[in-house]
Amino acid sequence: MTQAGEFTYRRTHHAMRELLFDCMTQPEHLTHFWGPDGTTTPIDGITVDLRPGGRFETTMVNIADGGQYTMRAVFLAVERPALLSWREADVEGGMVTTVSFTDLGDGRTEVVTHQTNVPSAYASAGFETSLRRFGDYVTTIAAG
Amino acid sequence: MTTAVADELSLTFAALADPTRRAILTRLAAGEATVGQLAAPFALTQQAISKHIKVLEHAGLISRSRAAQARPCRLEPAGFDAVAEWVGGHRQAWHERYDRLDAHLATLRGTEQNAGQES
Repeated sequence: MTQAGEFTYRRTHHAMRELLFDCMTQPEHLTHFWGPDGTTTPIDGITVDLRPGGRFETTMVNIADGGQYTMRAVFLAVERPALLSWREADVEGGMVTTVSFTDLGDGRTEVVTHQTNVPSAYASAGFETSLRRFGDYVTTIAAG
Repeated sequence: MTTAVADELSLTFAALADPTRRAILTRLAAGEATVGQLAAPFALTQQAISKHIKVLEHAGLISRSRAAQARPCRLEPAGFDAVAEWVGGHRQAWHERYDRLDAHLATLRGTEQNAGQES
């Protein structure tokens, strides 16, 4: 019934892709940036078994109230330094995240994060555009 | 997010998962329309369109006027707020994560340079 939703996020970083790949796969790096703002990701709450089928788990702790959320995933593809992908079975239908690292040749790397089965689909660029249109429409109504 | 809000969001997302229903919403963004008017562009019966409209109505994305016999449909903008918030939040979460990664990379570069200076 529900179509798989897709989500893509592109970003260029001033670093070689080997380093970026390591940052995304080594607890001593992940602990510095993984959790959302307002959380910490303690290093002892990070499990990285870096091989297809290996576990990738991160426990994020809310700084304000100590509440915890654990992402539980299993690696699907581990191809240093080009590609990394994992699947979160807890998310309905199994959300797959694929991160690709492309060397731009000038010391920079383009990192593309792609997710499928986003719980709800509508993170797709096309749909966001629709939402923006609806947003504009809402603003029009409010103003009128 | 409370479970009640999350469930409501699931309902909304399920309603939005269908291309016909999204097309109906896009049409309604231009102004209210009757079921007959909404059915016109589709190779679907009015009955099939009515089913889609019920799903959208149940999800709080549209409402139907009781004033006129044709009961025109119109968009319920409030129903989209939660969706927009969720999508924006998801993108924002990745944006912030990579911002922090950049900050971490800058720290690593600083450490490297210091080490270089020391040696």
